[in-house]
Amino acid sequence: MEELLQVFHLRKTFTLTRKQQKINKTSETKKVAVDDLSFNAYKGEIYGLLGPNGAGKTTTLRIISTLIKADEGDALVEGISVNKNPDGVRRKIGFLTSELKLEDFFTPNYLFDYFSSLHQIDKEKANKRKEYLFNKFGIENFKEVKVADLSTGMKQKVSIVISLVHDPDIIIFDEPTNGLDVITAKIVTDFLLDLKKEGKTIIISTHIFSLVEKLCDRVGIIFNGKMIRDDTLENLTKEKSLEDVFFELYKQEVGE
Amino acid sequence: MKKSINRIFTLTSRNLKEIIRDPLSLLFMIGLPIFMEIFFYFIFHKLTSQFEMKYLAPGIVVFSQAFLSLFMGMLISLDRNTSFLTRLFVSEAKPYEFIFSYTLALIPICLVQSVLFFVIGGIIDSSIFRINMILAILLSLVTSFLFIGIGILLGSLCNEKSIGGVSSLVIVCQSVLSGMWFPLEGMSEGFLSVMKVLPFKNMTMIVQNSLNGYLNLFDDLLLPIIIVISYTIVIFILSIFIFKKKMKSN
Repeated sequence: MEELLQVFHLRKTFTLTRKQQKINKTSETKKVAVDDLSFNAYKGEIYGLLGPNGAGKTTTLRIISTLIKADEGDALVEGISVNKNPDGVRRKIGFLTSELKLEDFFTPNYLFDYFSSLHQIDKEKANKRKEYLFNKFGIENFKEVKVADLSTGMKQKVSIVISLVHDPDIIIFDEPTNGLDVITAKIVTDFLLDLKKEGKTIIISTHIFSLVEKLCDRVGIIFNGKMIRDDTLENLTKEKSLEDVFFELYKQEVGE
Repeated sequence: MKKSINRIFTLTSRNLKEIIRDPLSLLFMIGLPIFMEIFFYFIFHKLTSQFEMKYLAPGIVVFSQAFLSLFMGMLISLDRNTSFLTRLFVSEAKPYEFIFSYTLALIPICLVQSVLFFVIGGIIDSSIFRINMILAILLSLVTSFLFIGIGILLGSLCNEKSIGGVSSLVIVCQSVLSGMWFPLEGMSEGFLSVMKVLPFKNMTMIVQNSLNGYLNLFDDLLLPIIIVISYTIVIFILSIFIFKKKMKSN
């Protein structure tokens, strides 16, 4: 299988502010968010990073997406290093997170054109892609409605679509169904499966077992920034449910 | 290079739309200064020469530019808050392209401000209609860059809640320290020396002296331009650095 993403020994440490120290009830000034983390993702598969809140999933995805730099280690996206050639990586990836809000004043149509123009996609190609994605997500009906007047689900659909304007090979999706109603969540998960069928590689982070079981081919379980287990879903769930495996590992590692 | 320019124009068009869609920004950047220009002229111009149109109109032009800092700062802090910039940062756009696009978006507004306040001033007192007005309008663009740079810097540093208060300081400084509303001549030598190296009085001097002429080209025009441009360069370099850093940390 062709390795589309290779992550080597990532390490990222954050300096804690006094406020963060209070919240975390610690006197430590540094927190290791990602600790010697490595994994690979192959073409046409969905890889899930599974872990509790604060495990380092989002930080890992942000490093791969070139949003932040790792202190140590590297990630290769189709052979391109996030450290050495972040621009090259950005051409290959689409980054999505439920945190990415949209601007109230603009319409989905304007936003799509705006982002395709930023990605330097020629007009004809962009229009075809827009037609495809708008139909796929049912945006056609509200494409000229201002974002402020859209429901949360509609906004999330638009948010996903404008992150995919450039038809990336690798889609990185941080908590894909967070805050979504069941109908939109279903549309999103179905779309991710469609993308997989098209041969796209998808990396998601989540703490929802059912989502991993439904979507993922392979799973990386992370605690405290460390990769505890990296295996196919099939291997992981041969004898026990994913939830049981997860909590068994959690007890071993965290001891709670 | 071509791609970069295209991206800058795409970003600029959006930023311009964002700024002019807000009626409050237009009210403060254009409406309020027009009111002040007319109001202060008719109330005070016979009492003190400071409010004669030849001084008031250039002063109002620079004063109105101080609001650019506020609205530029608000736009950037809002973009940061909505994670709009995060989305852009995973595109191929570079931090300097963002900075240019924010700057370019405000240039048409600066031009409108300058032309409008001079024309209104000229309608009230036609003596200010002179060829030097063109130079004053052009040089007012130089002063506007500093306010835009300050806005970008503050927008990168402050959040949505604090940006209003912090940017207001710039407007207050421009009001108090430019000598436009209050004569600085009666102040102590030490205070005046500080004013000479700060940009606020120098910005007003540039536009006033380019309209009204000067006694000494270097002291009255070139030196203020050098001071203001120096501040502008430093502020822009700082802006790019902090903007880049903040984007990463966001």
